[in-house]
Amino acid sequence: MSSSILVEAKGVTKVYTTGKVEAHALRGVDIEFRVGDFAAIVGPSGSGKTTFLNLVGALDVATDGELRVLGNDISRMTKRQRADLRLNSIGFVFQAYNLVPVLTAQENVEFVLELQGAGEQRSNRAKEVLAQLGLDAYSSRRPNELSGGQQQRVAVARAVAANPKLVLADEPTANLDGENSDILLKMMRDLNEAQGITFIFSTHDPRVVTYARRVVTLVDGRIDNDVTKNSATSSAE
Amino acid sequence: MRISVSTKYAFHSLRRHARKTILSVIGIGLGCGLCLFMIGLVKGESRMMLKAAAESGNGHLRIVPAEWVQIRQNDLRLDNWRSILQELRSNEQIKRAAPHARKEGLLAFGTRTIGVEVIGVDPTVEQAMNRLVRDLAEGYYLMEGTRGTVVVGREIAQRLNVELDDELLITVADSSGEMSSAMLRIVGIAETGSEELDASICHITISDMVELTALNGAAELTAVVKEPRKLGRTAKALSAALPGDCAVLTWKEIMPELASGVKVDETWTRLTVGIVMIVVLLGIASAQLTAVLERRREFAVLSALGMRKARLIKIMLMEGLVLGVIGGTVGLVIGIPPTYLLATRGIDFSRFYGGSGISVSNILIDSVFQGDFGWWLFPLAFILSLTATILSSLYPAWYASRTDPAVALRVEH
Repeated sequence: MSSSILVEAKGVTKVYTTGKVEAHALRGVDIEFRVGDFAAIVGPSGSGKTTFLNLVGALDVATDGELRVLGNDISRMTKRQRADLRLNSIGFVFQAYNLVPVLTAQENVEFVLELQGAGEQRSNRAKEVLAQLGLDAYSSRRPNELSGGQQQRVAVARAVAANPKLVLADEPTANLDGENSDILLKMMRDLNEAQGITFIFSTHDPRVVTYARRVVTLVDGRIDNDVTKNSATSSAE
Repeated sequence: MRISVSTKYAFHSLRRHARKTILSVIGIGLGCGLCLFMIGLVKGESRMMLKAAAESGNGHLRIVPAEWVQIRQNDLRLDNWRSILQELRSNEQIKRAAPHARKEGLLAFGTRTIGVEVIGVDPTVEQAMNRLVRDLAEGYYLMEGTRGTVVVGREIAQRLNVELDDELLITVADSSGEMSSAMLRIVGIAETGSEELDASICHITISDMVELTALNGAAELTAVVKEPRKLGRTAKALSAALPGDCAVLTWKEIMPELASGVKVDETWTRLTVGIVMIVVLLGIASAQLTAVLERRREFAVLSALGMRKARLIKIMLMEGLVLGVIGGTVGLVIGIPPTYLLATRGIDFSRFYGGSGISVSNILIDSVFQGDFGWWLFPLAFILSLTATILSSLYPAWYASRTDPAVALRVEH
């Protein structure tokens, strides 16, 4: 595997079984994502986008095939090893923000750093990331005191605070209006360009597709299309 | 010191459903307060029984001939009782010590007779040590150097139809088994309020007992200790210090029926406290489990972010800990006033006994039951409350730790 390859999937299949019913979410997916990718996975509902992100995020394991993330064969890892991989190397951004409601923005970001075992510097790091995302004035607010766009930016801050190599974002703009979506996507692309963090999105949002430099289309659990745009067409400004 | 975000999370989580938390805290507080009251009652009862036993002439400790432990015969005597008594009185843990010589006998006046256990006493110390004869209803107590006198209980006097200064014929078996009799003048009549006790008091001086039975000396030395809590240690120390031909018995060995009564009471209390705490525990566990189910998605997100099971369990237990500390404090607030009142004013049971005294195993017990109140309440409140909350958090914590982030997040989709 080349050192620049972050995610490598070979024949990845995922089957969900409910009673006697089997649902094929992914059917032999072969794909690679490289360091610095800013990729969107698109496709209709039920095409397997979220399933694929869950597998790459080591939240779940494939039924068949080989999936290596940051050089780790996910199917061979224990739950604890997968938790450690997520904690130290992967950031998550969810559609519904999923911030801890009883903690402030600052504490939400600090929490991940604390889980990583960061010491006294975690507070400064959290402040730094929040400031970078234009949230320094909101650090002491709880999620219910923030707008949707602000909450999602806090979620991004939480995802990138621990300097992950890879950030997985599942429909990050689904609950945001156009303006906030643009702000968020621009911020994520800046992080990608400035810090080299790889972003993989699952999305239905054409704006995300506009910002993405690579667009992978999934249909019925298979890769239907994989297009890498040149830099001239990937700009959204 | 900085408070960790995990700790803040545990604290704030309790506030998210304030009403549920308040109800849980009230539940723990009530359970805890009830347990404190009951434990205070039984501790006070045990202490009262022990005090009553000690002050009814039985003492906390008794020194007897070693052989007595096996055969329990009143004819056995301590050869060197004076030196042992001296040693007891010089021991800093012993408050008072008195010699006794017991013998079964027959009292007679005219054609009336009654069987009693006659006790030979040292008049100078007995009255101070034995509340049954401390305040006599009539006459005075035995005096050192006066011979041929007796103090009897009111019931004996009534059954024999005698008064002060009447002369009773006392008959006992002497050391050779022959009947030995003497005339004793009644100098005092004791009235304890308990018919049972008033029918059993018959005190004469040890000198008269020696003369009557031809058995020299005391059969036992009864001692009251300064600190009943250290009774076991004191008994052990005395056992090691005293000659090998005598045995040191505690009140539990002297009055096993009383000891088992106290133990039964304590066992019932423990059982009741256990049941109360189990009810509290199940209540909290149910509330905690509901909270876990409501927060399933949150736990899934935290797990997705890389939180380990151990950390999640720790957070849940921390919530239990906080709940326990608050519950214990509320338990003290609820439990202290009634326990204090019980200890200071007590509960008067005299009306249930028709105004007469209560006696068990020849022990006069106060009709006002007083509970115990002390520093022990504070650690106990927190022990009870923390045990309940931490135990009740274990299952919800384990359940929460099993949240599969992929499944929980997929359900949200």
